[in-house]
Amino acid sequence: MIFEWLHPLLIAAALALAVIGAVRRISLWRAGQPAEQSISLIAGLLTIPKRYFHDLHDIVERDKYMAKTHVAAGGGFVLSAVLIIVVHLFGIESKILAWGLLAALALMFVGGLMVAKRRQNPPSRISKGPWMRLPKSLLSFAGAFFVLTLPAAGVLPEGTGGWILTIVLTALIIWGMGEMFFGMTWGGPMKHAFAGALHLAFHRRQERFGGGRSTGLKPVDLGQDILGVSKPTDFKWNQLLGFDACVQCGRCEAMCPAFAAGQPLNPKKLIQDMVVGLAGGTDANYAGSPYPGKDVGSAKGGPTQIITEGLVDPETLWSCTTCRACVEECPMMIEHVDAIVDMRRFLTMEKGNTPNKGAEVLDNIIATDNPNGYAPASRTNWAADQNLAVMKDVKEADVLFWVSDGAFDMRSQRILRSFVKLLKAANVDFAVLGDEELDSGDVARRLGDDAAFQSLAKRNIEIMSQYKFKRIVTTDPHAYHCLRNEYADFGGDLFKNVEVLHHTTFLNELVQQGKLKLDTFSGGTVTYHDPCYLGRYNGEYEAPRELLRSLGIEVAEMERSGFRSRCCGGGGGAPITDIPGERRIADMRMEDVNTTGAELVAVGCQQCTAMLEGVVEPRPEVKDIAEILADQLIEEVH
Amino acid sequence: MLVQKTGFKTMSQFDVLFEPLNINKLTIRNRIVSTAHAEVYATDGGMTTDRYVKYYEEKAKGGCGLCICGGSSVVSIDSPQSWWSSVNLSTDRIIPHFQNLADAVHKHGGKIMIQITHMGRRSRWDGENWPNLMSPSGIREPVHRATCKTIEEEEIWRVIGDFAQAARRAKEGGLDGVELSAVHQHMIDQFWSPRVNKRTDKWGGSFENRMRFGMEVLKAVREEVGPDFVVGLRITGDEFHPDGLNHDDMKEIAAYYNATGQIDYFGVVGSGCDTHNTLANVIPNMSYPPEPFLHLAAGIKEVVDVPVIHAQNIKDPNQAKRIVEAGYVDFVGMTRAHIADPHLIAKIKMDQVDQIRQCVGANYCIDRQYMGLDVLCIQNAATSREYMGLPHIIEKTAGPVRKVVVVGGGPGGLEAARVAAERGHNVTLIEKGEELGGQLTLAAKAPQRDQIAGITRWLVMELERLGVDIRLGTAADAGLVRELNPDVCVLATGGRPFIDQNPEWGAEEGLITASWDILSGKVEPGKNILIYDTICEFSGMSTADYAAAKGSLVELVTDDIKPGVGIGGTTFPTYYRSLYEKEVIMTSDFMLEKVYREGDSLVAVLENEYTGQREERVVDQVVVENGIRPNEELYYELKEESRNKGQIDNDALFDIKPQPVLLESASESGDGMILWRLGDCVSQRNVHAAMYDALRLCKDL
Ligand SMILES: Cc1cc2nc3c(=O)[nH]c(=O)nc-3n(C[C@H](O)[C@H](O)[C@H](O)COP(=O)(O)O)c2cc1C
Ligand code: SF4
Ligand code: SF4
Ligand code: SF4
Repeated sequence: MIFEWLHPLLIAAALALAVIGAVRRISLWRAGQPAEQSISLIAGLLTIPKRYFHDLHDIVERDKYMAKTHVAAGGGFVLSAVLIIVVHLFGIESKILAWGLLAALALMFVGGLMVAKRRQNPPSRISKGPWMRLPKSLLSFAGAFFVLTLPAAGVLPEGTGGWILTIVLTALIIWGMGEMFFGMTWGGPMKHAFAGALHLAFHRRQERFGGGRSTGLKPVDLGQDILGVSKPTDFKWNQLLGFDACVQCGRCEAMCPAFAAGQPLNPKKLIQDMVVGLAGGTDANYAGSPYPGKDVGSAKGGPTQIITEGLVDPETLWSCTTCRACVEECPMMIEHVDAIVDMRRFLTMEKGNTPNKGAEVLDNIIATDNPNGYAPASRTNWAADQNLAVMKDVKEADVLFWVSDGAFDMRSQRILRSFVKLLKAANVDFAVLGDEELDSGDVARRLGDDAAFQSLAKRNIEIMSQYKFKRIVTTDPHAYHCLRNEYADFGGDLFKNVEVLHHTTFLNELVQQGKLKLDTFSGGTVTYHDPCYLGRYNGEYEAPRELLRSLGIEVAEMERSGFRSRCCGGGGGAPITDIPGERRIADMRMEDVNTTGAELVAVGCQQCTAMLEGVVEPRPEVKDIAEILADQLIEEVH
Repeated sequence: MLVQKTGFKTMSQFDVLFEPLNINKLTIRNRIVSTAHAEVYATDGGMTTDRYVKYYEEKAKGGCGLCICGGSSVVSIDSPQSWWSSVNLSTDRIIPHFQNLADAVHKHGGKIMIQITHMGRRSRWDGENWPNLMSPSGIREPVHRATCKTIEEEEIWRVIGDFAQAARRAKEGGLDGVELSAVHQHMIDQFWSPRVNKRTDKWGGSFENRMRFGMEVLKAVREEVGPDFVVGLRITGDEFHPDGLNHDDMKEIAAYYNATGQIDYFGVVGSGCDTHNTLANVIPNMSYPPEPFLHLAAGIKEVVDVPVIHAQNIKDPNQAKRIVEAGYVDFVGMTRAHIADPHLIAKIKMDQVDQIRQCVGANYCIDRQYMGLDVLCIQNAATSREYMGLPHIIEKTAGPVRKVVVVGGGPGGLEAARVAAERGHNVTLIEKGEELGGQLTLAAKAPQRDQIAGITRWLVMELERLGVDIRLGTAADAGLVRELNPDVCVLATGGRPFIDQNPEWGAEEGLITASWDILSGKVEPGKNILIYDTICEFSGMSTADYAAAKGSLVELVTDDIKPGVGIGGTTFPTYYRSLYEKEVIMTSDFMLEKVYREGDSLVAVLENEYTGQREERVVDQVVVENGIRPNEELYYELKEESRNKGQIDNDALFDIKPQPVLLESASESGDGMILWRLGDCVSQRNVHAAMYDALRLCKDL
């Protein structure tokens, strides 16, 4: 081939530009705040391969075709890039290496073809725009280098081809390297590989790798000048890095209940807006689905500009139910909920702009320690006839029953009573905090009022610390989440020897130990709705199902169940901020239920019960598992 | 655009009712009480047996905060219990029975106390132990026709001791407290009231002396049970007798007892009770406004510092809430409200206020009680029959879903349709008229009787909720029933006025008018009318009241011993008030022999049953109330083709067991529908009878 020097030069130039781009990009991320947890560079980088093949791949694997595609295209590319540098840049002459490179390129080419096929009729969740040229770029890169490598492998004699071929190949290589090397750090679709790999290394929630779960929100340092995130640079640097890893696959969008309900939220767009913010510019090039009801193109932002003034409408942030469906689904392990709550924190704590009932609810929490402003002394009214042991009197019990704010609500009280009935039937030694219990702070925290949350948490911990118990059990998954995953940040020693359990887990244990005698259930078809704060937040999918099985119920599963359960619409303070949409999330969930033909929806959460019962009749009955069990309880006659 | 529903806890409008409150050290879970009423269920010599226990357990299960059971339960053997099967606390035999009762109520978080008393002169001597009745001054009590002796000092002290022993038995039986009855003219308030206490010894005369008996009872009881056991006192707010205790007297008495610090709560009832007319006030029927005597209870609350309970015509949760919220009293008695629907509280909590079966004040319950019959609710046949297995909450069937056709939309038909629909069957209800309710609709036309329509209103709302196919204005014939091809057909076609019993009355010639036609408005009442009433219950009195209210000059004639004699003790007085005021002439012991026309007028020939003496009345309208004959034509037309030949198995029916035909497969008993008839289309009985049959037949459908 003529111009022997040309291709090495091009490769060197592309790589050099890529390095410059990388430095620039990294500096954009580093404009963010230091991470809570610092990870050394080398140690971080070394974790990437394992995390790619395990943690990330496990998520991608949910779409088998895409998993194979990614292994072929991505694996082929990484291998090819290394060998291209060796073979073509450094000119090491080795047939084996050349053949290796050919094989890698062939793999990449096949991957490219698969990408092309997927992109022929792409689902609406996938972004178009520059992403549509990616298969062609992959094919150009692989194809051109393949031909270029043939002489080195001895398949073609050196110097084959003339002007024309050289020009064509050179053009393709420039295009291919432009996308794959230059684009990686200068903002093309391939940026995901660069940012994604680093995100694996420096992820803010390291606990998530290796099958762990990390769902508790990080506490706000209340001593800071500005509370919450007002501008992109207020995010932790690794959050910014995370945003850049987004591949715009739209899996989050497809799972988001608020998006489906036509509320102005699309988690994918939100992440892309964060990218716009961190790099500066507008969303004009965004080629995916918009926030429902909002146009694309007019959002503007920059690293130090207030996000909610031009980049993201606060309504978008207030639409989120914090259900974590997006996070669960994201192959790049991006943390949408953290970002949303971070920005809510600014709106609530700095601006006092919590919409609709939000401000009132937060005022109530401050005045009465519960979101609905009930007289604190009325917290145990529901139990006046239950003869419950109160910690203040007994000081010690095996189980602390955390009643939660369902105590104030007549519907929820039925769940509480059922649970108490079961506890008594199983002779559990339990006590409640009575009027000493305060709201867990869940709503305050999700609405961004971390100051109120922290104060409640600290006071609850202080109260609990006076007593001795081995376990905390609650029927409220939201309180469960706070106690189990969030209180430890303030808890000192309290949680070292105390286990926090959801009532379904605990009841299941009692049933397995034969402490509850239950009749078989003879009603009609039953389905089970996984509450987000029990399932995705805490990984408890099995105990409720096992309990239902113990009644002889074969659960008619909804398509969206388990980790893919659709939110009832009741989390994250969403019913309070009450952002209008086209449909109600609870109605959609009830449609899911109806497809199973169920006459009864079993749930494990008072909030889900309230939301689903809010759907107009006729609809299936809604009952907490504790209620279903209590109905089937065979009471011993004394 | 829809707005995301706020599923978050909304403040319940009834929260004030659910604020627990202590009586002494006892926490009552809500502000609703079932106050003391004589249930007439304590069989076996006054023991609280199965029926009794299940009756109270149902209230506790339904959420009632406090049940005060055993109205007028006796502490002494010379206060007879058998007339009203009241609870007998004069023997230790009661203690284990109380334990069962207490357990059953406590199990559901309720609290239970008992009213204890010595009835003094307010009883009957001609039975059981044939005692001499006793009262402070031996003055006769008219309602029970009770003559009595003057109680002697030794007897006074014995009765005081009996009170203490009775309280001990209640405590040992695990009950949560006792209520001393000083109301309705029992021994304690007989001593209080100068109207009947004419003594000149230390037990009468001055205020302190009249108070002495009650104070000694209280002292003895408190000494026996200790400071923590609840002891309450039920008093009247005003005896409503010029020579009796008025509201100021009662405030003075309440303050006096309150000052001992030994009374844990006061129950307050408006009105005295020792004449027929005052008795009607005590359990106000549907002619009274809501809470007519609340002001008296509120007056007592002003002078005491312990909780006050008041019951009297509080039927509706909103009303109860308003009363508690305004702080008139601390606890609201909803006693008949619980007889009509023991799940009242649960329904408030379940946000099913519309599904509460509200008491209509028909006073069937109390009027039975005064006759010594077991207390039953006119519209809820399950009440007090829980022990037999009659349910308040009807479960869906696990068996086949049937097509049920009910013909007739009176109370029997409506109840049959309701129960069948609750069981999950496909129910069609066919009614000839344009309105549901049957004879209840007529009954509701009379002055002050409109609330009886509440029975219909609830049933219809339930049918709508349950999705029953209701076809109004449709007369069912055999063809229509066959076309609908039901699995079960229930006929509740009622009857028609039986005015042609005596051809001499001239029904054929159109000389007489049926009471129904007056009440329905089909025939205008004449100017000067004679109503002949052989039934002597509500229908004749209501017709007279209705016509008189429209300006007619009315003579109400009966061959029975007095007009309205079949109506119970709390209801005939309100009719009498109305009829006397409108100058209705009431004539008894005369039979209607013949009616003939003379010119523009009618002549009614009456004959005295005892002398045979004849009298004539010249009037312009003769209205006859002679009961009804069943509409049984459709039944006989369908009977032969039905599987069970229309028969109901009485053994199963009375035992509250499923009808055998339901358990047989079609092949065993032939095909064709199951056919039952109930209510007045069989024979004339009453609303309760029709609804009871409907419930016990259909609950196993
Ligand atoms: C069947 C019946 C029996 C009653 N017997 C008594 C009684 O023995 N002692 C008593 O103090 N009150 C008795 N009462 C009166 C009730 O306690 C209550 O004051 C009355 O029913 C009015 O309340 P309500 O409108 O909520 O039903 C009786 C009431 C009923 C309906
Ligand atoms: S945030 Fe995650 S799931 Fe959503 S589009 Fe980006 S990569 Fe896909
Ligand atoms: S947490 Fe749920 S509601 Fe919020 S953006 Fe993610 S998927 Fe949507
Ligand atoms: S019989 Fe009548 S007054 Fe008595 S409880 Fe029933 S509805 Fe009420």
